[in-house]
Amino acid sequence: MAGITYEHVSCRYPGSDTLSVEDLSLEIPDGEFMVLVGPSGSGKSTALRLLAGLEQLSEGRIDIDGRDVSGVDARDRDIAMVFQNYALYPNKTVGENIGFALKMQGVDRAERDKRVREVASMLAIEEFLGRKPRQLSGGQRQRVAMGRAIIRRPKAFLMDEPLSNLDAKLRVQTRVQIAELQQRLATTTVYVTHDQGEAMTLGSRVAVLKDGTLQQCAAPRELYENPVNAFVAGFIGLPQMNLIRLPLSDGRVRLSDEDLPLPAAVVRDATQRGAKEVIVGVRPEHVTVGESSSQGVAAEVVLVESLGADSYVHASLAGTDATFVARTEGYDSRQRGSNVRLRVDPQRIYGFDAATEERLGVSEHQVDHDASQPAPASVSR
Amino acid sequence: MSATAVAQRLKLPRARGRDAHARREAWTRRLPLLPALLFTIIVTQIPFLLTLFYSLFSWNLAKPGSPHWIGLQNYGAVFTDPVFFAALLHTIEITFISVLIATVFGLGLAVLLDRKFIGRGIVRTMLISPFLVMPAAAALLWKTTMLDPVYGIVNWVIGWFGISPVAFVSVHPLGSVIATVVWQWTPFEMLILLAGLQSQDRGVLEAARVDGASALASFREITLPHLRSYLELGVLLGAIYVVNTFDAIYMITQGGPGTATTNLPFYIYQRAFEGFDIGQAAALGVVTVVGTILVATVALRTMFSIFIQDNTARA
Amino acid sequence: MATVTGTISHRRPRQPLGAAVRARLGAIAWGSVAWLAAIIFFFPVFWMVLTSFKPESAAYTSPPKFVFSPTLSQYKQVFDAGMGPFLANSAISTVISVLLVLVLATPAAYALSMRPVEKWRDVLFFFISTKMLPVVAAIVPIYLAVRDVGMLDSIPTLIVLYTAMNLPIAVWMMRSFFLEVPGEILEAARMDGADLRHELSEVVLPVVAPGLAATALICAIFSWNEFFFAVTLTSIRAATMPVFLVGFISSEGLYWAKLAAAATLASVPVLIAGWIAQRQLVRGLSMGAIK
Repeated sequence: MAGITYEHVSCRYPGSDTLSVEDLSLEIPDGEFMVLVGPSGSGKSTALRLLAGLEQLSEGRIDIDGRDVSGVDARDRDIAMVFQNYALYPNKTVGENIGFALKMQGVDRAERDKRVREVASMLAIEEFLGRKPRQLSGGQRQRVAMGRAIIRRPKAFLMDEPLSNLDAKLRVQTRVQIAELQQRLATTTVYVTHDQGEAMTLGSRVAVLKDGTLQQCAAPRELYENPVNAFVAGFIGLPQMNLIRLPLSDGRVRLSDEDLPLPAAVVRDATQRGAKEVIVGVRPEHVTVGESSSQGVAAEVVLVESLGADSYVHASLAGTDATFVARTEGYDSRQRGSNVRLRVDPQRIYGFDAATEERLGVSEHQVDHDASQPAPASVSR
Repeated sequence: MSATAVAQRLKLPRARGRDAHARREAWTRRLPLLPALLFTIIVTQIPFLLTLFYSLFSWNLAKPGSPHWIGLQNYGAVFTDPVFFAALLHTIEITFISVLIATVFGLGLAVLLDRKFIGRGIVRTMLISPFLVMPAAAALLWKTTMLDPVYGIVNWVIGWFGISPVAFVSVHPLGSVIATVVWQWTPFEMLILLAGLQSQDRGVLEAARVDGASALASFREITLPHLRSYLELGVLLGAIYVVNTFDAIYMITQGGPGTATTNLPFYIYQRAFEGFDIGQAAALGVVTVVGTILVATVALRTMFSIFIQDNTARA
Repeated sequence: MATVTGTISHRRPRQPLGAAVRARLGAIAWGSVAWLAAIIFFFPVFWMVLTSFKPESAAYTSPPKFVFSPTLSQYKQVFDAGMGPFLANSAISTVISVLLVLVLATPAAYALSMRPVEKWRDVLFFFISTKMLPVVAAIVPIYLAVRDVGMLDSIPTLIVLYTAMNLPIAVWMMRSFFLEVPGEILEAARMDGADLRHELSEVVLPVVAPGLAATALICAIFSWNEFFFAVTLTSIRAATMPVFLVGFISSEGLYWAKLAAAATLASVPVLIAGWIAQRQLVRGLSMGAIK
């Protein structure tokens, strides 16, 4: 039960000057479920391993429970880790696996067995206690890995993509179990994943990383509605936000043959920066598909993905090679090649600086990208 | 229409055709195997059968007269021959002690090599060299430049600690042979155990670290159990090779002084090529083979279990 | 939107010096122990090579000499003493027996792995069992047979025996290399229309080529170093390097530098070969039991 702080942490790849993690500052209060998310190579696993003590930092410091652990070895940090491929001790039984840390602490046999059985029943794996890992299925091994972490009542749980080796159905089930478990135990958790859906559903706050730097750290809703740059906007949300680079003239952008109404704040910001181009973003659920006779940007349907409750229409915008995705309700029966018109909700258009990819039109509010504080309950735009 | 369909239509019996095809198929599979198999059988099995045959005769190349049948009398002579028992004892001593020491040293060296440090590649190359040097050459070098009472390196080194020179080969012949064998075979054990150490899942070791295990505890609880099958392999194979030690004994002590360092292979050699006693040498050979078969059966069963385990274990 | 507060200092904290330095020192200590062990084990080899360049007067000294004026005269003497033919015999018997082994073992290994014979387990067991049995036990009939056929002291005899000696190892090694060819590649090739011949030459062979080289290397090492058959079945014409070394047994300590030169020449080919192919060495020695 402890808070965790990253303070200007950097980590260099061994034998090179490139940084795998660059100037990361993050504050995780006691009991929070923090998710580190990003594409591969974003440094999220490294950031976790730095916290675990399995990697050495080159700069900065990490505090656990108010104490600087930079010089403390992994075995003395009192944190528990669930590895991506579980890393169960192959020559020990499930019971011995779970109880190993207690054995290292010198807990006597009787007490150990008792606690092992408690944890095993919590995770419904009592019947496997005498078996070896190689006799278990993937899902069962995953639970043993969790059990090994839970039994320790550590200061924090560290989880490195614990669900990625499970099949889709099991992944969803286990995700729910993890969330419930964390709420029950109220232990600080740092969870790494590349799946933005997992991040959004599990984290009380989510930190998005790219190329070793923190892009934005905020509650899921904040990330979704107020992304701080084009990367976060495109990374969070499935299907991806439609992003298109358009020339800016006279404070206006043209999409195909139509004028696109940008929010005033965006235009002001862009003109102030002297920008010639703007990256325009709009989420699929804010794009409406109408017949060719209606208003909007002309487009030709390229692909329709019908998922049952919703459908996603991919349409190629006339006169460009850009494709927009629009969400429609129910089962869409449009054919490939049919002509449609796309309308965009003007309240929901995002603008990003074409050069820096920063979000435009938010300069009226203060933003700190080293976002270390937990987001306040209510958010204003 | 396909052939089978035609056959069905005409209600022709298909069984015979299929059998012939299957048999032909089996033979095309066997064919590539035959040359090697036949070669091995001829060159290895026939001599053993002949050894068995000769062991039932009294036959000495130095004595005039042709071999005559004496049945199992040669075996009687073997089991009442004190030199045989001495050779058996020495074989066991040399094998047991050499393999034990080589394995312990090998484990230590493997642990050293498992971590990165400057010049690790060079160190590894240096450490495998004893195994690559021609065994006969190595034996001679140890006898002369290393162990010589006056001019040998070993005596020079122990002289730094104030110990007076020892004539190793004459005073400790068995020890000298064992030293040479250990020097030669430690790299072998080291390489096997190093393969074992490096085949560990690094994630498991990290998990142990995070779980609070000290380096020693991690070695004891995680690494050693993992190494068990490699240790078994190393010891078994090492023993099988070392039991047959011939070069070192021939070069360093010629089995002496007296019979102090004679082992079974060398004794058989002596009876055959110095005593010219074909019958006796053959009987000794058979006894050695039977003994080795017994040990080898156990060995192979263990080896196969390692093999099978490796193939089915990790999913 | 989140706002900034000042609880986290914006000054860069000092580098964590303690842990990094301790780790560095630990690594240096570790490396030092490893180097010490390596030097101790390697010393006899080093001493062998060093001594081979000494004049005899500098080789037979107490205390041992590390500084002297090097000479090639030992090597010259060794060649003058007629080492050439021994070296040549070793080379010929090794090269030919290795080729023979590969020719026999590769198809056999194929038959035990890719399109296996029914009783492949038994066949494999048989091959290995021949390696387990002490060669010495069978030397009597072998000697007699070879003598009766008039093939004593001839290279073909050695070639045949070395081939038989190395076949089990070669079959085991090649088999494990064949097993490493991923089944999917073969299936893909079959889908692409490759017949057996092409399957072998285009797909299998490139993948097992390094394995072939490793096997050849291991067999070459064993053939080159082989002592027992060389000593018992050859004398003058077909004698190999190990036999040449026998002549130094009764040296009485007079020709250590010359011995060192002969020993070095005898060992150098295998030393270099082994250095190059360390990993393959383990596989061959443990008969492919270690992946």
